[in-house]
Amino acid sequence: MAFSTIYNVFFKRNSVFVGTVFAASFVFQAAFDTSVTSWYEAHNKGKMWKDVKLKLSQAGEDDEDDDDE
Amino acid sequence: MLGLRTSFKSSLRALNCQSRLISSSAVSAKSTYKTPDFGDYVKEKNDADKSRSYAYFMVGSLGLLSSAGAKSTVETFITSMSASADVLAMAKVEVNLAAIPEGKNVVVKWQGKPVFIRHRTQGEIDEANSVDMSALKDPQTDADRVKNPEWLIMLGICTHLGCVPIGEAGDFGGWFCPCHGSHYDISGRIRRGPAPLNLEIPEYEFDDQKLIVG
Repeated sequence: MAFSTIYNVFFKRNSVFVGTVFAASFVFQAAFDTSVTSWYEAHNKGKMWKDVKLKLSQAGEDDEDDDDE
Repeated sequence: MLGLRTSFKSSLRALNCQSRLISSSAVSAKSTYKTPDFGDYVKEKNDADKSRSYAYFMVGSLGLLSSAGAKSTVETFITSMSASADVLAMAKVEVNLAAIPEGKNVVVKWQGKPVFIRHRTQGEIDEANSVDMSALKDPQTDADRVKNPEWLIMLGICTHLGCVPIGEAGDFGGWFCPCHGSHYDISGRIRRGPAPLNLEIPEYEFDDQKLIVG
């Protein structure tokens, strides 16, 4: 019963089918991008430039800050 | 005569009958292939709707992945055509306007071209506005040439043959091109000489006390 509903809603008309595919690909791209980025940042935590920059500005308040201030 | 017509008709009917007979008797001419019985291999409780939906879902998923891949491929090519960050950084120049006193000219280099910046006095602004349009070779009001009347920003390239005019010189209190003697007024408009057009105004914007050309 449920499967025939799915068929009638999404697959029966090709325009609806293709439209759904394109709309879903946009959503998929955004989701895929954020998930891969968050995984990558979690995997490389402490090695990213934003972490290193924070560490440098804490450690070298006196001598290493030549490009910021 | 009549007999001839009936015989013709009957022969037609016979022909007709014969052709119908052939088409309807074609069962024997059909394929002799015996379709095997797949009964042993077919699922016991087959849900046709489910398998159809599954097939369409798989086709759609493939379409989704390939359209996403095609989109990012095209995007990569298009973004590779846009200017890179170093080019963009070189395309603009920042000038601190607070360092330029009133009534002084500054020349800065922007994309290899000189840019004249003049901090005009109130008297100069009034002078630029008082000029009669009919006296100009390339009529343009002063308001069209400046965003802020105090600051005149223009490309320092003579519109005649591309020399760099000299500031605070010439008969009209503005710029003078030494190459062929073009005189520009305090709004950078051509007043006398061979140059056909007013000095060009580049794209620029003010950001607090800074001027960004480009």
